[in-house]
Amino acid sequence: MFKSVVYKEWIKTKWFLIILTFIGLLAVGNIFLKVQHNIAFNDANKYWYLILFQNHHYFKSLKFVPLFIGLLIALVQYVPEIMDKRIKLTFHLPINENKILMMMLGYGFITLLASYALMFFAFVGLSNQVLPTEIVQATISSITPWFLAGFAAYFLVALVVLEAIWKYRIAYFVAASAFMLFYFESSIPGGYNLINLKLILLTIAISISLSFSAYRFRKGEM
Amino acid sequence: MKKISRYILVFIAILATSVALPKLYWLAFEKPISRPFIMYSSLEHDFMIQRHENKQFHRTDTKGNTYTRDEFEQKLPLFYVRQLLISGIMPDTINGRAMDTHEIGKARSSYRFKSSYMIAPTPGLYPLFESESGRANLEMPEDFFRITDRMEFVRASENIISEKKSQMFTTVLNNRGFDFPAAMIAGIPTTRKSCDEGYIVVDNSNQMFHIKMVEAEPYVAKVEVPDGLTFKFIACVDFSDKKYYSYLISSDNEVYILTQDEYELIKLPIEGFIPEKEELRIYGNLFNYTVISRGTSSLKVIALDKEYNKVDEYTESWTKLSDTKAGKAASFIFPVELNLSNLNSSFIDFYFERTKGFNWLILNLLLMIAHFFIIRKTGLKPTKNLIDFAVIAVTGIFGFLAVNIFQNKFFD
Amino acid sequence: MSNVIECKNLTHYYGKKLVYENLNLSVKEGSILGLLGKNGAGKTTTINILHGFLQPREGECLIYGENTQHLSPITKSRIGFLIEGHVQYAFMDIHQIEKFYSGFYPKWNNKPYWELMSKLKVTPKQKISTMSCGQKSQVALGLILAQEPDLLILDDFSMGLDPGYRRLFIDYLRTYAKAENKTIFATSHIVQDMERLIDDVLIMDYNRVLAQSSINEFMTTFKQFNFKLGKTDIDLSKEDFVSNLEKSEDEIELFTYESESYVKNFLKNKNIPYTNFSEIKMGLEDAFIGLTGKY
Repeated sequence: MFKSVVYKEWIKTKWFLIILTFIGLLAVGNIFLKVQHNIAFNDANKYWYLILFQNHHYFKSLKFVPLFIGLLIALVQYVPEIMDKRIKLTFHLPINENKILMMMLGYGFITLLASYALMFFAFVGLSNQVLPTEIVQATISSITPWFLAGFAAYFLVALVVLEAIWKYRIAYFVAASAFMLFYFESSIPGGYNLINLKLILLTIAISISLSFSAYRFRKGEM
Repeated sequence: MKKISRYILVFIAILATSVALPKLYWLAFEKPISRPFIMYSSLEHDFMIQRHENKQFHRTDTKGNTYTRDEFEQKLPLFYVRQLLISGIMPDTINGRAMDTHEIGKARSSYRFKSSYMIAPTPGLYPLFESESGRANLEMPEDFFRITDRMEFVRASENIISEKKSQMFTTVLNNRGFDFPAAMIAGIPTTRKSCDEGYIVVDNSNQMFHIKMVEAEPYVAKVEVPDGLTFKFIACVDFSDKKYYSYLISSDNEVYILTQDEYELIKLPIEGFIPEKEELRIYGNLFNYTVISRGTSSLKVIALDKEYNKVDEYTESWTKLSDTKAGKAASFIFPVELNLSNLNSSFIDFYFERTKGFNWLILNLLLMIAHFFIIRKTGLKPTKNLIDFAVIAVTGIFGFLAVNIFQNKFFD
Repeated sequence: MSNVIECKNLTHYYGKKLVYENLNLSVKEGSILGLLGKNGAGKTTTINILHGFLQPREGECLIYGENTQHLSPITKSRIGFLIEGHVQYAFMDIHQIEKFYSGFYPKWNNKPYWELMSKLKVTPKQKISTMSCGQKSQVALGLILAQEPDLLILDDFSMGLDPGYRRLFIDYLRTYAKAENKTIFATSHIVQDMERLIDDVLIMDYNRVLAQSSINEFMTTFKQFNFKLGKTDIDLSKEDFVSNLEKSEDEIELFTYESESYVKNFLKNKNIPYTNFSEIKMGLEDAFIGLTGKY
């Protein structure tokens, strides 16, 4: 059964996943081309200085990339399910409704995780080549909320898309957007050190939020 | 699971609205609160106060005399020295001392401390300048140091450790009894300063060291710190008079200076300063220091003489934001305000600020009644929504919005 | 024979609007039941409750003894649902969708599916979204058949189909159901279709059930009598035995479960003059309209 679920989700998402991951890797590559360029033109020590003491965010072009990927993956995965209320087909399958939703969600989460992991490790790996641990650590702390935002966007878009009533869909969207701002406060490198763990917990907590709108659907709120 | 997911969503919505709604509210209704500018006049031996009210400046002293702008500036000749020179009214002598612009400039200092400088992530990696390079300008070194289980220099061009240099510094530090790793490293990591005095470093057992590099060799001096005295913040300064290396804030919120060469720690007579919440400014001139500690609704100004003795003191407070019209109205709406950033910290975090008093309980009650009718209208049973009522009772408008966005429908 | 579907005391409102109150219905194993009703009569509500997509205010529906709100996976695997409009995963082609569904059903038998698919003129890689309504319906039906369900719930199965396809669909379905002793619960907008398919009929009107019986019984006991009244000011529509009555001038179309002699006796006893009394032969559609009225 799990294989079938994965098969369907893969049919829906494969091209987007591949292309978006590729775009993500391009974004990472682009950052390090710029870093390379800056080091060549500014001297490495002056460039380090800019990062350490002048708040130079060499990674800032990465800010909305994971968000964009999470958002799009959620859309391509869940919009086909609500067209013609196809989600009914899912609920008719001989499997517990929550279980299959969690499988779909799990698929999305794991593929997103894989996509982000590629980007993240490419980024950290390249960072480690030219930058010291202190900078890399502060940078990881800064980009962590952006990747978390990607997951949060994925979970919340699933919630919004699966809600069948437009009025509520808009209300969820507004509430979700206000919440998403938490991940994008501007701050100095390392500024998210204290809140990252809390954001991780919140992101995990909202992972099951689509079961709310799915339940509403099953109880006739359409 | 659907119940849990609903409460999680309600919780998220409460968080989001308790950030967004107050933010929008203040954007719409906040009025600027003017804070006085106060400086000690070495001429009058009194504090000169400039207030900005109703788009006009009012300049007085503590006795109530009012001054024009020119008069005010003339009372503070050492602060407005450039203006007085341009106007040609700089006095030749002050307090019997002949005025020399070079001397005035050399004695001038200004320092500003903000809580967010102290409550901030540390870079962990610092440039150690050559203090006696024989060059007019300081140059950015090729490497940066960290003090972990030893003092390590990392060369930026290759991103590798300079072993020889690291060993040399580590050895000297070990010989001086340095206990690795460093707990605090304070310096001025910029080439834009008059000269380099290296770093003041606190080690793992609260010993204080002065570390610099002189002609490529380590210079390490241990600073004698009285027993039990520990510091939460050290700010190195680069003032022309070369009297001290740094301002230090001790764990018991006293402000010290560390003198140059003798490494003497002198406590400044500043009482009641709360570094976690207040801003501190220290202005020095030929005769005095003006020390201003400022909180959200009050400030305290202390005048010191050049031997750091208190000569005068002045306090003033003004209307708190929460006591303004908009603030009072807000206290009827929001039980709490949530912020992700805080003036007193460089960290992003959840900063809850509880509204003083319980005015908001009225609205909470009204919203509970409103919610009762909403539930009745949708044909649900109020008894099955007790948790929602409790949420509204506690979180008021935020909870009311949250439970109605993520409606409790059909849950049996 | 036991009941496969059993709905007891169903009551539902949309907001304050009553859909129906205390509705009871049942479907026997091996029978084919057609649910007829005008738009808004509660057909969709009933289907949604059976699908488990709507929780009724009161009462419950059981399928194989389980509440439709919480059907176990085993029971769900015994039910083939055809969703209104033959909705399927249109982003797949016929091979992908067969592969997808086969993973869920232990008794999966793809023979009837490929049999139906071989009659379609579609390319192997063609997405279902690009197919015609008739082709889509065949895909949806083929998938249900391959599932080997014991009960088929078909919602508005004839929607969007050409007459030929409709005939094909119905004949295939009836033959299949009878050969394998399947139970079918079907709704359709087109009442004619039902006549060829169903054994039992359930006719709903606003807030109530008008008729539930075998189609033979219904067609033989429900009658239409036309006659001319001698006087125009007589109102027969309130009489107990009259199910429905259409009147134009003095022409009367009277629908009733009573016999010709009963009606004639009634008129005679009440001293109501009439002429041209005749019984009209009805098809299911005529009977449906006769029972529910034209409006």
